[in-house]
Amino acid sequence: MHKMIRRMAQLTVQTPLLAAAPVTGAAKLLATPPAITQNVDCCGVHTAASGGLCTKWNKHNYGPRKWLEYNKTVHPPQEVDEEPRKAYVCHMRTNIKYSPDKMWYIAAFVRGMSVDEALKQLNFVLKKGATDVRETILEAQQMAVERHNVEYKSNLWIAESFVGKGRVFKGMRRHARGRFGRVEYKHCHYFLRLEEGEPPQHYYLPEPQTPEQQLEQWLEQMRSRKIISSL
Amino acid sequence: MSRNLFISIANFVNHLERLFLPHGGPPPALAYLVHQPSSPTTRTSQSFSLKDLIGDGMLWAVPKHRRSVEKRLNRKFGYPEYVWKPLKEKRNLRSCQHCGHDHELGLLCPHCYDKVRQETQLMQDKIQAQLGLEPVEQEVIILYEGETADQTTDAASGKRIVEMKKPRPMWFTKNLLQKSTQQSSDTKEVKPSNLA
Repeated sequence: MHKMIRRMAQLTVQTPLLAAAPVTGAAKLLATPPAITQNVDCCGVHTAASGGLCTKWNKHNYGPRKWLEYNKTVHPPQEVDEEPRKAYVCHMRTNIKYSPDKMWYIAAFVRGMSVDEALKQLNFVLKKGATDVRETILEAQQMAVERHNVEYKSNLWIAESFVGKGRVFKGMRRHARGRFGRVEYKHCHYFLRLEEGEPPQHYYLPEPQTPEQQLEQWLEQMRSRKIISSL
Repeated sequence: MSRNLFISIANFVNHLERLFLPHGGPPPALAYLVHQPSSPTTRTSQSFSLKDLIGDGMLWAVPKHRRSVEKRLNRKFGYPEYVWKPLKEKRNLRSCQHCGHDHELGLLCPHCYDKVRQETQLMQDKIQAQLGLEPVEQEVIILYEGETADQTTDAASGKRIVEMKKPRPMWFTKNLLQKSTQQSSDTKEVKPSNLA
């Protein structure tokens, strides 16, 4: 256990973007489980290109994979008069060394924003998870343009952005007076779905109503009243 | 013999009394041995029972009611009337006119600043490599590729020259290093020197 804790202390998160690797290399990277990378010496000297966890003791747990299956669904051909289906891309990053509760704030911040606005704002968010989220968005944007039939990379908005709990390693620390405390080394998964088009004015429902809409609703309620036991 | 026994026991008890209760009244356990208790009030005032303390039901800093889920979520995620925990969008971001990256209004553009910082770091490394950790007594002049120092003024005043093996960056004009605390000159003839 203590060896694991020492290794945890040496870990750093360094994730290069898919832009660095060629397209075929990137495709191969996505085909394999995201948590596994080609690390030569992962525990002593942490090399780049990792999902945040050492591959040496993470081989049996690849993390979630269902989210990326949504990218592979083949939709039936649309009718001529039907509105064209919006292109979307699902992407995720697993086992980020950050608490899921803290990552929630960043995921909730970015929800419903256009991709450009999200990237601009995340530059000025002073949190550790902001760098991971920003890189994930850039990767997803690139994937959308290359493989998911999106014409303009600016014409995307963040339809879904949420966090899941990742691996948790437990350790101990000592306090004064012979007491011991429990330490949890938390990881999180970050899931993202980009959709083509303009972002909506209000992401969450119900939308706040204008005074005219409120008046209409009030009139409707008043007119729909019934006098009980009447003819 | 029984009288002697009784006297010895009484003496022993007196010793004990002096040991445990030098100033007080009779100890509760041995009171009956020494003498009869004077009054019931003295014994009850000294005696102490847990029932008096907790009998009324005193609770120490314990929640009285269960917190509803709305209150719990408000505290966890923040709400406008109290403390807004979610992140707020920054409205004071502008595009830098020189590099095109974003920066906060009123602050330096991080990209431009980083460019200057890296150049400064190179200059400092070169100075340290050449001049070491000597005390700073003379000014240091930095020359880029293809530049020569003004021999009359600089060598005479004994300024140290450090040469950088790279061309001068376009944004690093010579007038940037001119001192703002320059004294005003007496002559009215001004020669333009080392401008841009």
